[in-house]
Amino acid sequence: MKAHERIAATVLLQCPDRVPLAPLLDHWAARYAGITNAVLMNDSEQRFNAVLKTAQDFRWDMTFLADTANVTLLKAGVPARIKLPGVDLPENSTHQFDEIGAMKDEDFDILERDGVLGLGTVLIPRIYPEMNIEQTLMDVDQAGKEITDQAIKLRAKGIEPAVGFVMPGPSFEYFCFARSVNKALLDIRKNPEKLKSAGKRFCEDILGLAILSSSQNAIQRVFIGLSRSSPVFLTSKHFEEFILPELDFLVHGLIDAHITPVFHCDTNWTKFLHYFKRFPKAKCIIELDSFTDIFKAKEVLKDHMAIMGDVPSTMLAEGSKGEVLDYCKRLIETIGKGGGFILSSGCSIPLNAKVDNVMAMTEAIEKWGWY
Amino acid sequence: MDQLAQAFSALEEDRVYQIIDEYLAVPSDPLVIVNELSKGMEEVGRLFKEDEYALGELVYSGEIFKGAMDKVKPFLKEGDDKPLGKVIMGTVEGDIHDLGKNIVITLLECSGFQVIDLGVDVPASKFVDAVRETGADLVGMSLLLTTAMDSLRQAVKSLNDAGLRSRVKIMIGGAPTSERLKEDVGADFYGRDAIEALAITKRFFNQ
Repeated sequence: MKAHERIAATVLLQCPDRVPLAPLLDHWAARYAGITNAVLMNDSEQRFNAVLKTAQDFRWDMTFLADTANVTLLKAGVPARIKLPGVDLPENSTHQFDEIGAMKDEDFDILERDGVLGLGTVLIPRIYPEMNIEQTLMDVDQAGKEITDQAIKLRAKGIEPAVGFVMPGPSFEYFCFARSVNKALLDIRKNPEKLKSAGKRFCEDILGLAILSSSQNAIQRVFIGLSRSSPVFLTSKHFEEFILPELDFLVHGLIDAHITPVFHCDTNWTKFLHYFKRFPKAKCIIELDSFTDIFKAKEVLKDHMAIMGDVPSTMLAEGSKGEVLDYCKRLIETIGKGGGFILSSGCSIPLNAKVDNVMAMTEAIEKWGWY
Repeated sequence: MDQLAQAFSALEEDRVYQIIDEYLAVPSDPLVIVNELSKGMEEVGRLFKEDEYALGELVYSGEIFKGAMDKVKPFLKEGDDKPLGKVIMGTVEGDIHDLGKNIVITLLECSGFQVIDLGVDVPASKFVDAVRETGADLVGMSLLLTTAMDSLRQAVKSLNDAGLRSRVKIMIGGAPTSERLKEDVGADFYGRDAIEALAITKRFFNQ
């Protein structure tokens, strides 16, 4: 089977010829390819070359285009001040976000009235005084063209690009960056109706952007960020009231456009796994970062959606090759049983992951992953 | 005054302030209010532990507590708010995440501990200086990034090298931390979440 067929069969919950391998790649590509993180984040061509080298050397079926280390996309899409390697941090550090709370109370009205673009016009100069919305849009357009070209080049090498658009998630996820987590959590108590009405507009706009991007770059999968919506932060009551209606809207909108939603679940989602059964069968991927009980996820979602994960980042960084092999074997034998499983890292491969440990994922797939 | 603890643990913000206003409107002992708020906070912690509350409720309870204490503080006499213990908190070098750290700080302060917050991206030497300068007995080190584990090692090592480990204990917390990492770096306590960090602190100070 070809890589894209393997992934497609897995999403359909069928058994491909073997379990696909698709770790989440961003900063580690720089370390592996021998360039600095600063270069990886700022230079599109060198970023792609690093991604391609990594994906080829480790014989992956699918790879992220290090979208989450692309400065242009991060500055445009994440409403918090980014601290960059080579500028604010040593040139081989990972980037980090300073949630400065750029979005004020009155900005909810701007979002509701003028949409995501209108809000961006206000927030971007507030976060980055040297930037303006016109230049940002041109940069994003250029980045989009580069991704389209890179997807073609990647596919020519037999490797499937992972996602055509990185969606911050439901509006609450975006507000956690824009307002700060604490403020967004308090908004749920103190400003619930505004959160919902502005959130509705956010979702309409972000869904439109996701569909447009995916149609341009022909990558029919969209990443949906889910971190602060998790049961770690929210009770079931608040999740049902603020998150689920938006997730329903986004997921159905994507599926109607023939796009596969990829739920990128950070932190522990075990308690909320049953909610994912509401989404159409064999149409989605849930990606777990090792804090959710992936074995429980298999119990709950095995006949419903593909599961992707979840070799822990600490194991990749500090564990032994034997530990990684053992864990991957266990994942392949249990989560991979009957199909519907993509072996991946738990969230991104950490910058300090050992090469031998990343290769152990490949060796495990090639030894035990065949159906 | 049970109603105050109940209103607090139910996160009824307006009701909490109303009860306090009514109580303080006549000459009364403000420490009664502080004790009830602490009881309420203990109940919030229990509900969090039993999964009925999430971090959102912890953050909101901290907000209510601060609002309540703003009302009570003018009525406290000198010595009434003597801290139960002194704790240094910081996110280790190379990591600027502060959400978990700040929730722990809120809970510690609400429970009567004095916290010296060193902020984020804290170099090992700053932990050493802070222990020397403040005489704190407990240091909390937080991290989110896997890549910051080496900074954690360095911070613990620096306290060892400075000869301060006989007088100070170290607790660690954050996504990549674990009992195994605690043993590996030579820390004393590992808190899986903010409520555990509070429980560790209370046990440490015999509260």
